[in-house]
Amino acid sequence: MRGPLLAATTRGLGAMAEGPLARTIRAKLAAALQPTHLEVLDESSRHGGPPGAESHFGVVVVSGRFEGLPPLQRHRLVHAALSAELAGPLHALAIVARTPQQWESDPSVPPRPPCLGGSKQERRGDTGE
Amino acid sequence: MSVVVRAAWRLGAAAVRGRAGRPLSQAATSGGEAEGGGGSGSREAVERLVREHPVVVFMKGSPEQPLCGFSNAVVQILRLHGVEDYRAHDVLQDPDLRQGIKNYSNWPTIPQVYLNGEFVGGCDILLQMHQNGDLVEELKKLGIRSALLDAEKDQDKK
Repeated sequence: MRGPLLAATTRGLGAMAEGPLARTIRAKLAAALQPTHLEVLDESSRHGGPPGAESHFGVVVVSGRFEGLPPLQRHRLVHAALSAELAGPLHALAIVARTPQQWESDPSVPPRPPCLGGSKQERRGDTGE
Repeated sequence: MSVVVRAAWRLGAAAVRGRAGRPLSQAATSGGEAEGGGGSGSREAVERLVREHPVVVFMKGSPEQPLCGFSNAVVQILRLHGVEDYRAHDVLQDPDLRQGIKNYSNWPTIPQVYLNGEFVGGCDILLQMHQNGDLVEELKKLGIRSALLDAEKDQDKK
């Protein structure tokens, strides 16, 4: 019961206080994939970073561009749109990529795995995943 | 399904907490036997690694002590299917391998799962394959019988 409520709250908060990287991600995905539904969530605080750290993101992308493409290719399209960010400050990216039809029949997002603090064990300035 | 996966992640997280004191040196080694720098991240070196076993995972930490939630999710999903015999490479132990595996698959993040030498995806995709039954099928092609098939059989008997 807590899960969906917390997720909805987090989504709400994410939308209200979008940082610069979140806005960039949103703009690039919108331009590349013309999504009918798009969620960009800064999940950095779930990985030991301060709120608004903008290092770990989750995106939900619903787009007709994914039609006929297997999951791997869908994710590659998302990566391609965000290649500069992934080479830079974007440390981790969780992706849900569905066609509009798939989203209509299942608008749920799988639960995120809990952080195990890996990024805290790495050197500062270590870029990329 | 998601309830099962969430439970599995809690198991993994608990395992990590229990083993918090274990030194990193006990984590699974990567292709770190190679001497020097660039060698372990080269295309040839990575190719050898992805082909050395039907199931190969590049992750942060080890299956006994994952150091990242996404890597742990991969370990737990494989465990749910009864897959305990596979090759796991800890990219945190080898920066050249860490970059090399991303170049090889043209995929920017860790973990990375390879089945029969072929890149399958990361944590999100493996989870999807687990939920829609594709993982059971792919394991079958590798001659690996998923433990979940036996679990289902038990349920049918009740």
